[in-house]
This record gives sequence, structure tokens and C-alpha cells, in this order.
Amino acid sequence: MNKEPAVTAPGKGTAATYAGAGRDHFAPIVDVRDLEVHFRSRRALRAVQTVKAVDGVSFTIAAGETLGLAGESGSGKSTIARTLVRINRPTAGSVTVAGEDTTRMRRDDLRRYRRRMQMVYQDPYDSLDPRMTVLEAIGEGLSVRGVTRASHRRDTERLLDRVKLPASLVSRYPHQLSGGQRQRVSIARALAVSPEVIICDEAVAALDVSIRAQVLNVLKDIQDDLKVSYLFISHDLSTLRFIADRVAIMYAGRLVEYGTSSQVFGDSRHPYTKALIAAVPTIGGRGGGPRIGLSGEPPDPARLPSGCAFHPRCPLAQDICRADRPALRQKQGGQMAACHMAPDAPAGEASV
Amino acid sequence: MATVNPALDELGTTEPLAVAEPRLLHRALVSLWHDPVALISLLVVVALALVAILAPYFSPYNPNHIFLNGLSADGAPIHPDGTFLLGTDPNGRDVLSRLIYGDRVSLLVGVVATGLASVIGVIVGAIAGYVGGIVESILMRLTDVVLSFPILLFCIALITVTGPSTRNVVLVIAFGYWTYLARIVRSLVLSLKEREFVTAARTLGVGHVKILRRHILPHLVPTIIVYSTLGIATSILIEASLSYLGIGVPVPEASWGQMISQGQQYFQIAPWLLIAPGIALIITVLAFNLAGDWLTDLLDPVTTEIGR
Amino acid sequence: MASSTPFLAGADASPVRSGDLVVAVEHVSVSFPSPVGTGEVVRDVSFSINAGERVGLVGESGSGKSLTARAMMRLIPKPGRMSQGRILLDGVELGTGPTADPGTWRGTAMAMITQDPLSSLNPLVRIGVQVTEMLHRHRSLGRREARARAVELLASVGIPDPQRTLSYFPAVLSGGMRQRVALAIAISCNPRLLIADEPTTSLDVTIQAQVLDLLERMTAQHGTGVLLISHDLGVVADFCDRLLVMYGGRIVESGPTFEVIDHPAHPYTRALMASVPSMTGRLPDRLASIPGSPPIGGVWSKGCSFAPRCPIARPVCRDEDPLLVTQDQGDHAAACHATGDTQWRALIDGLGAS
Repeated sequence: MNKEPAVTAPGKGTAATYAGAGRDHFAPIVDVRDLEVHFRSRRALRAVQTVKAVDGVSFTIAAGETLGLAGESGSGKSTIARTLVRINRPTAGSVTVAGEDTTRMRRDDLRRYRRRMQMVYQDPYDSLDPRMTVLEAIGEGLSVRGVTRASHRRDTERLLDRVKLPASLVSRYPHQLSGGQRQRVSIARALAVSPEVIICDEAVAALDVSIRAQVLNVLKDIQDDLKVSYLFISHDLSTLRFIADRVAIMYAGRLVEYGTSSQVFGDSRHPYTKALIAAVPTIGGRGGGPRIGLSGEPPDPARLPSGCAFHPRCPLAQDICRADRPALRQKQGGQMAACHMAPDAPAGEASV
Repeated sequence: MATVNPALDELGTTEPLAVAEPRLLHRALVSLWHDPVALISLLVVVALALVAILAPYFSPYNPNHIFLNGLSADGAPIHPDGTFLLGTDPNGRDVLSRLIYGDRVSLLVGVVATGLASVIGVIVGAIAGYVGGIVESILMRLTDVVLSFPILLFCIALITVTGPSTRNVVLVIAFGYWTYLARIVRSLVLSLKEREFVTAARTLGVGHVKILRRHILPHLVPTIIVYSTLGIATSILIEASLSYLGIGVPVPEASWGQMISQGQQYFQIAPWLLIAPGIALIITVLAFNLAGDWLTDLLDPVTTEIGR
Repeated sequence: MASSTPFLAGADASPVRSGDLVVAVEHVSVSFPSPVGTGEVVRDVSFSINAGERVGLVGESGSGKSLTARAMMRLIPKPGRMSQGRILLDGVELGTGPTADPGTWRGTAMAMITQDPLSSLNPLVRIGVQVTEMLHRHRSLGRREARARAVELLASVGIPDPQRTLSYFPAVLSGGMRQRVALAIAISCNPRLLIADEPTTSLDVTIQAQVLDLLERMTAQHGTGVLLISHDLGVVADFCDRLLVMYGGRIVESGPTFEVIDHPAHPYTRALMASVPSMTGRLPDRLASIPGSPPIGGVWSKGCSFAPRCPIARPVCRDEDPLLVTQDQGDHAAACHATGDTQWRALIDGLGAS
């Protein structure tokens, strides 16, 4: 695999180059602490409702690493994505990117910050402007980075090469491309501003299975070459198992399990994680065993249960689960989990 | 045995690369070929424009010239005949010439008034839709106030204040008509704002002005064009109505509305005075409306064809 | 509205015998008018479903699986049409004789649920009305009886508080709940065959498991046959007795589930399985992907439609379209020239090892 130099070209307002040049190698690129995103809805004739889409979430992402974020509807994973790119505003908590606390940023700083964290969206059809050619779409990102118009074509072709698309696509419009091609163009556009982190919000969910593999492979190649970090959001556990180094499982706006991929998938400690994994239909079959253990539905984020949000559906629920919200603690097995029923790790073990 | 595809790679070179889409002009010509009504309307519009621009060359006589032999022995307008192809009016002026110059007035007023209305409407609607908040409220309430007047009455009211002149007619129509486009543009911008490609541009760090210019405005163009073509027809009608009431383009300039007003009075003895401008008006309005319809269909496929 | 005499009146009265042939699809093609090519999106598809059998139809976009289902229900969206072939329901060709009026069998003998229950349920009509309407029309139940039966039905599909749910509008319910209601309506008249077109694709995985479980239970209870359509091999493999794999408008592989999964006879099936990361076992560094993308249909070149993407293709694949032929075991068939050539066929197993 030829190691090309980073796509970043020195220029006006360039963000720091990859691989932490001149930065502490051990500090994570993204450090989210106690993030809360609450929406208040005021409805006529009804009390103010607070929808706690994200309710106290903390995680980190190291440079060049992929953190998977899993959860079902109402888990808050998409809200986290949108909050990180500042489409939503955090209600509380902090988001630190490359050492800078973005929650306190003003407009000019926010502009600069925006380039560090980019996003690839779920819908390959709507995330590209149907009236712009591939060249124009990617060129928009290049312009933000300060690349002159004259160099657009050359840089665009290089970016397309990186996502394994032929250069001849530059003059095509989105509706002339397939879903997989469009997603790769979106990835190229995200790369155009030389971000440190790319958030993939269900980026392959809308693609055909055989195309998904192509795009996932491309993402891995890019990560190997450019050391970009990914926050990969997906409801599909098998995809996460493939692409994520570490995984965070979310339920009702809270983190319930957080650890390495092998810890969380191989030796889950939270009953929700176990149920989630058991529910994934596998090609090999269940061997006739029961398909599910989980009844009921995820809770309404405007009316969360007391204590542990999962207790109404949990086979292990006890009184303490109804009363106290469990904190995220290190468990035996190495990962963090928020469950009263999972035995804690002995004090003194190394943290994740 | 060697395989047929020895070196397939992820480049997807086996994917059928879409052909470049037929250019707009090509599609326009093809659609015209299949739609004779649209073709005729378009030709009529072009013809009207040519006549308006080249009025002096088309017009047999000076429209305001009072011919000595323009009236018959007992002072009645002359029937259409060899000299005056569409007869004369009660003042002894050639109807055909007045019709041609009337076309110029109508189209001039129609195009300029609509153009002005479009500019105002787009600006107001786009700002209201994009900025939102109190700005949107103020602008939309303003729009509602203007909209609450029937446009013709509104124009009449304004013109009595400003006094009739061609310029004032244009301004008055523009101020009455911008509201329709403002409303439409605002709701379009509201929905465009939420589209994922706009969110993507914001995430990239593209500034608001650029987003408006590059992402929002181009999506408004088809609607603007369609409303404009329809607006031209409406403006022509309003001008004709104002002139009919005597508060439009001032005498002695020829205007279809004025000619219709006059023709109405003399219908018994000189029916051509009413029929000629009447038909001209109908044909013009129809042509612009139909051409506008065709344009909608032509421009929409670009946005609706997108692989849904 | 007069209730149409249901075709197979008494179908729910007489006990269903396993093994009876319920539906036979014979050489069905569906095409759309097209300036170029034939416009076919479903090409010469044949298969059959016995009573109580669970058959899975797997394919990606453009494979023609959804249109095949719609052809069976005679609900092909205009301007498409079934350009060839016929569908037999209990030996009678649909659209002829007693089945000429779709009201006699659609929804009663053969029912369908789709991916988005909001499109099969009328969002402006209360749920109770939608359920009872079916019962009233096709079973001639009186109002009070129909309501009671409706409550029973909703309870049987696991809706909490079915009485109250009758007065809800579909939009109030969650996706999983809507799908349950759609299922209740679909089985309310004891159909011989239930076609489920991507029923769980838009649902969360835990809800998907619930709905699949329910589907399994209900169809076993009534002996209903199921045609489950999905792009998700895992879902289909888990649920169905037999699999049909579609690609490019044709069936490229068919056979008992365990046969097709363990010993795929078509390179597409094998490659498809290899491109999905598993939940257990070692993961490859890169997924085995199939280059290019699935054909969209309408225009077909000579030869096998998978040949341009096939890693083991040979010149014959470009020239001749392979027929669906059985392997050595009676029931397992594949449309691939490699069938019969042991060495060539062995290459299929090698696919996906990265």
C-alpha cells in the first residue's frame, strides 16, 4: 500500500496535520465529558416537556482510532453526532477536540473547529446537492481549506483516488451516481478539509450489503493512511465489530457499556448489550434456540423510567435498579458498564 | 482456464458509468418537438417580443397620428380595409399601429414590473425563510398586509396617490405582485434549509452567504422562472385593467386596456375596436401561461429525477 | 359494500395439510416500458410454495424481489406489467375464473405486509376500523362480533391494551407496534400465504427479533405459508426453510436453507455471505466485497448478469445466460455455468477468503 503524504496541503488556515505533530500523543483527539443535550418542548395546554436525548455521556477517541457508537432508536446516538458538529447545542458538559474546549467557542473559533470534525451522513441521496457536480461539491470543501480554484481539479482527483473512484466522475451529478459512489464522494468531501475526526452517522446503513463492504474497506484504508479518527455510529453490530476498535453502547441517552470491541462483543457485561447481540440474526442460525429475551420497547425520551432506564425490560432488575441510576464503572472483564448487577472490577485495575 | 475478469478491483470499473446527462437545451428541443401546444406558445411569445422590440418596423403608421381621412364622412371610425388593416379608432388613428405599440407597452410593463417584483419577492422571502425568528415574523406580516388587498384594488389605490404614468404603473404592479413570490420563496427556503446537503455545507464551515448563494438560490431558480412567466401575464392584465379604468398608461399612448375601454363604448358601430385588442390580450396571456407551464415541466425533472 | 365471496371460502374451515401446493409462480416476467432494451426487471422467475412452508427471497436493490411479490399479489405499479407467465393459487390461475375479481383472494387467501406499515395502513383511519373492515367484508361478521374478534387479534399479536388501541390512529404507534397491527390485519382472514416484504428492515434489531418471533408463532399456529423477502441474509436464513437468491431479475440459486448457506453453489451467494462481517469468530482485515454494483434492470446484455462482477467468470459466462439447474442433491439448484465442473465449482468456496 503506497503511503501517500497527507492530503493536507500547506495553506491559509490549515488545521494541524495528522498524527499529532507537536501534540501529546496520549491525549485523546476527542474528549467528551458529561454531555447532556436536552430539548424543551412547549406545547399548548401541556406542561413543558424535557426530552433528554443525551443524558450524561462521556467518552474519548484517540488519534487514528475508531470508536463505535451503537444503539437503537431513541438511544441518542444521532443527537451526539449532531452535537459534536454543532448542529445541536449541548445543554451541559464539555466537548474537547484536540485540546480545545468547543462548548465555549465563539463564532470565529467555531469556524476553525468545524474543519476538524466532519460528518458523513446516512442518506446518500440527500447529503449531496443535486445541482452540484462532484467537482463542485468537493471543491466547496477545498475552498474552505483555502485551496485556490486552480488547484481544485487536481486535489479533487487525488481525493477521488483515495476513495477509489475514477477521476472521470468529476463532472457527474449525484443522480448519475450509485448509492455507494455517492457515499464515497461524501467521504472525499469530508476529507477535503483535512479533518482529524470523521463521524459516520449510519453511513452504510442505506447501502446494499455488497456495497457496504466496499465503503467500509475504503474507510479502513483511509484510516491506515491518514490516521483519521472515526466515530462510527450504527445500529448494526456486525459492522461495528468489524470496524470499531472500541465500542460504546447507548440506551435511552445514556452509555450502558463502553470498552474494546472484543470486550463488549465477546464478553458483554450489561444485560442490554447481551440482548442486543442475541437479537442479531446470524447466518449460521440459532440452532433452534430462542430468538429473543427482550420484550417491550425502548422508553420515550421525554418520560424516562426512574433509576436505570433499562430496568422495565431487564431480566435481572432488582429494587436498587428502580431506585438508583447506575454509574458507569469498571467491571470484571475490563470494560465499563452501568449496571448494578454486574460485578465491579477489583480496585486498582488499569482503566480502558 | 483464465478468468474473464482477471483484475477486478474496488475501483468499480465494472460499474456502468452513467452517460453525461443530455444538456438542458437538448431536452428543451426534444420536449418542444413532442408538445405542439408548448411550441406554438413559445413561438408566439417570441413573436410578441420581436414585435415589441421592433415596433417601428412592423407598424405601418405612427400610432398617434390622426389621419385626415381617418374618419368616415359622418365621423365614424373606418372599417378595416386596404389602407387601415384593422380600421381606425374614433380619433382617426390606425388601429393596427396602435395594437403593435400597445404590445410594446404591455410587454414592457409586464417584464419590468415582474422582474422588479421577483427581485423584491426573492430577497424578502429568502431572508425571512433563512434567518427566521423575529425578522421572519416582521417580513411575513408585512407580506400578509399587502396580500390582504386584492391586487388590482391595491394598484388602483397606489396609482391614485402617485398619479398615472408608465413608470408609476410599473412600480405599482411590482409592489403589488412581489408578495406572491415572497411567500413561495420563504416556504421553499424553509424546507431547503433542512436538507442534508445544507447541513453538510454548514458542517464543512461554509458561511451563510455562500450557502444562500450556492445551495439555496439555485434551487429557487425554477420556481422563480415559472412565477415570473405567470407574473408577466398577470402584470399585462393588471396594466390593461388600469388603462381600461383610465388610470394606467396616459393618453395618447396606445395601450390595449385603453383600447378595450374605448372599444367597449363603440362596440355597436365599430366592433373591431374591441375585438382586436381583446384577442391580442387573450393570445398574449395564454401564450405566456402555456409557455410558463412548459418551462415548469422542463426545469422540474432536474430536481425530481434525482434517483428516488 | 357487498362482501365478495372469498375465493377458497372455507379455506380456514378445512384443516391445512402440509405439503399441499399453495402458490406456483411460473415463468413470470415483469417489465416496464422502456425506450431501450426489454425493460424487464423480473425475468422468467419460477418457484412454488407449499402449505405451511417458509420460503425466503433474498436479493439486493434491482434484483426484482419486491416486484416479484407484487406480481404475485397482482399489484404491480403502473406502468409496469406482468409481461409473461402466470401465478397459480391452489391450482387456479390468478386473474381467471373465480379469481378474476381480486377481492375474492387478495387479503384473504393471500396477504401481504410491507416494510413501511404506514403505507399499508391508512393513516387517516382508526386502527379499529381498519381491522374490523377486513373482518366485516370477508367474514361477514356483525359489528359487535367483528370488534371482539379485532381485540382478540390485536392481543394475539402482542399489543398491550388492545381495546384502547382500536381507537388509535396508526401514527401514534411505534414502528414495531404498527407492524404488529399490519400483521394482525394480514392474518385476520387466515390466508394460505403471507408475503412479508422487508417487514423488519426499518425496525430496531430487538424489535425485529420480536416481530420475527411473532411471525413464526402466528404462521405456525395457522399453518400459513410465508414468503419472506429481505436483503438481510441473516434474517432469512434464521427464519426460512428454503431460500431463493435473486440477482439481476432472475433466481440464481434455490434450495434448502442449510444447503444454500453451507454449500453455496453460486458465486454471488458465496460472495454476499462473505461481505457481511460475522458476530463471532475471527474478522478479516478487509471485507471481501463484490466490486461494482448490482445492475438496475431494463437493459440486459447477453450472458450471465453477474458475469461482469464475478471473480470466477469465464468467456462462456459472457455468451450464454446459465439456466437454473439442480446440483447433485435433488433440491439445490443454481444458475451458474460452473455447476457440473467440479474444479471450477470448487473456486466458489475459495471466494471470500481474504
